[in-house]
Amino acid sequence: MIRIIAQLTLDGLAIGLIYALLASGFSMIMAISGILFIAYGEFYMLGAYILWGLMVPLKLPFSLSLCITVAVTALLGGLIYLAVFERMQGRKLFFLVSILAAIGIAMAMKQSALLLFGTESRGMPSLFNRIIEFCGLTLTLEKAVLILLSVATVTALHIFLRGTDMGRAMRAVSFNVEAAQLQGVNPKRVYLLTAMIGCGLAGFSGGVMAPVYALSPEMGMITLMILLVVMFAGIGSMAGALLSGLIVGIITSFGQYYIGTGVAQILLFTTIAVVLFFRPGGLFAETRDEML
Amino acid sequence: MTPAYRSLAFLLAVVGFILVPLILPNPYYLHLLILVGMNAVLAMSFILVFRTGLITIAIAAFWGIGAYTSALLTMRLGIPVWASFPISTAISAAVAYGVGTVIVKKGGFNFVILSLVFSFIVVLVFSTFKFFGGHVGIFNIPRPEGITLPFLGCLQFSSKVPYYYLMLVLVLLVILAYRAIYASWLGRAWRAIGLSPSLAESIGIDVFRYRLLAFVVGSCTCGLMGTFFAHYYRSLAPATFDPFKSLYVHLYALLGGIDSALLGPIVGSGILILVPEALRIAKEVEPVITGILLILLAIFLPGGIMGTILRMVNGLRGAKK
Repeated sequence: MIRIIAQLTLDGLAIGLIYALLASGFSMIMAISGILFIAYGEFYMLGAYILWGLMVPLKLPFSLSLCITVAVTALLGGLIYLAVFERMQGRKLFFLVSILAAIGIAMAMKQSALLLFGTESRGMPSLFNRIIEFCGLTLTLEKAVLILLSVATVTALHIFLRGTDMGRAMRAVSFNVEAAQLQGVNPKRVYLLTAMIGCGLAGFSGGVMAPVYALSPEMGMITLMILLVVMFAGIGSMAGALLSGLIVGIITSFGQYYIGTGVAQILLFTTIAVVLFFRPGGLFAETRDEML
Repeated sequence: MTPAYRSLAFLLAVVGFILVPLILPNPYYLHLLILVGMNAVLAMSFILVFRTGLITIAIAAFWGIGAYTSALLTMRLGIPVWASFPISTAISAAVAYGVGTVIVKKGGFNFVILSLVFSFIVVLVFSTFKFFGGHVGIFNIPRPEGITLPFLGCLQFSSKVPYYYLMLVLVLLVILAYRAIYASWLGRAWRAIGLSPSLAESIGIDVFRYRLLAFVVGSCTCGLMGTFFAHYYRSLAPATFDPFKSLYVHLYALLGGIDSALLGPIVGSGILILVPEALRIAKEVEPVITGILLILLAIFLPGGIMGTILRMVNGLRGAKK
C-alpha cells in the first residue's frame, strides 16, 4: 500500500516537474512581457520532436541533443518575439492582439507538425536501458534523468532570477516597466531574453520528457492546462507555479490510478475552479486582489 | 448610409440569400453557407457578451450543451425535434444562468479563466460518461420532422436545401432580435457597462444583473445553434466543442471587427470559412494559412475588416471636408 503511494508520488513528481517547468516559463512570459503566449505548448511539442529527430534518425547523444533542442527553441522563441510581438508593444489592446497573434502561431506550428509527423503518437526507443531500484520503488533511468535535470533547471532558474543582475532586471520589469527603466533597465532586451528563456524552458521540458512519455503533435494542448496551473498559482509567483505544477502532477498521477483519467480530470478542474472562485488571484498570489 | 438605404441593402441581401439555392444548388456550397451562418451567430453571441466587458470562452461549451441536450431529448425521451428547439434553448439558458451567477460576479480576467475551466469540464463530462456517448459521441440524431407550409406543400428535411432555409430563418431571427435588444434600454445599459462599469454602477445600473442577462442571452443563442447543429450534422463528438472552437469563434468576431456587432461576424466567418475553400486550400494546410493570417491580422489590422473599412470611409468623409 505504502509502496503504491510512494511509487505514484514518484511518478507524479516526474509529471509535476514538467508542469512546474512549463508553468514557470509561461508565468514568466506572462508576468514580464504581458503576453498570454498560447503557443507555449507548441514549443514544448517542438522540443520533444527536435530531440526525437536528433536522437533517432541522426543518432546524436542525449546530452548534445538536449542542448541543441534548448538552443533551437530559445532562438526560435526570440525570433518570433522580434518578428511579431515587438512591433505591437506600444499599442493599446496589446493584450488581446498578442493573444490573437499567439493563437495564429500555435495553429501554424501545430498544423505543420501534423503535416510533418502525422497524427499518431510515437515513442522513443529506450536510451539507457537501465532501471533504478531503491526502497522498493522503481524508476527507469530516463525518468530519473528527467527528474534530476528538471530539478537542476528549476534551481538554476531560481538562482538566475534572484541572484543575477539580469534576473533582477526581469523581475523589476514584471513589477513596473517605467520604474525599471528609471533604474537603467533596457526593457527591449528584457523582453527578448524573457521570450528566449521562456521558450527555451518549454523546449527543454519537451526534450526531457520525450524519452519517457509519448510524443504527438497534439502535445501543444497542454497549454490550456498550463494556463490553468498558472492561474491556480497566481501569475508572477514562480514558487507558486512550481508548487502548483507539482501538486497537479501528483494529483494527476493518483487520480489516474485510483479513479480513472476522465473523472480525475473533472475533479481536478472543478477543484481549480473552486479555488479560483475563492482566491481569484491564485493560491500563491503576491497580491491579494485579482489581476488586471 | 442613411437608415433607409441600410434597410434597403438589408432587404436586398435577404432576398439574395433566399435565391441562393436556386442559383447554386450544389449541396456543398449550401453546406458551407450553413456553416457560415451558424458560426456568424456564434460570433454575434460572443460580441453581445463582450460588449458588457466579459470575454467568454464558453461559447463552444454552450453550443455543445444545446446540441447534446437536443440530441438526448429527441433520442432518449422521444420529444419531437421542433419541440426540442425551444426546450433545449431554454435548458441552455438555465445552465447559463446557473453558471453565470457563479462566474459573472468575478468579472474581468477571472471570468475568462473560469469560463475556460467550465468549457473544459463540459467537454470532459461529455467524453467521460456513457450517458453522453463518451469519446465516440452520439450518432443517428433524428432530422427535423417534415412541416407543411401553406403554398409549398410538405417540406421534408432530406436534402441540404430545407436546412439552408432553416438556418437562414434562424440567422434572421437572431439578427432582428439582437438589433432590437441593442436599440432598447437593455442595449443601452449594456453599452454603458461596456464603456465604464463603475460609472454605470454609479448611475444605478446593476452591473452584475445586466451582465448576467447578457451572458444568458448570448449563451442560449449558442445553445440554439447547437440544437440546429445536432439535427443537421446528426452526429456529435465531444471534441467538436472544446475551448479551441471558442477561440475560432473569437477569431471570426475579431476578423470582422470587434466593434461591429452584426455585420462583422458574418464577414469574419464568411471569409475564414469560404476563402480557404475558394482557394482550394487543402484541409491539411488550412490551419497554417489561417494561423499566418491571424498573425498578420494582429500586427496590421487590429480593428478587423469592418474596423478598417469604417476607418477608410471616415477618412474619405474627412477628406471631403
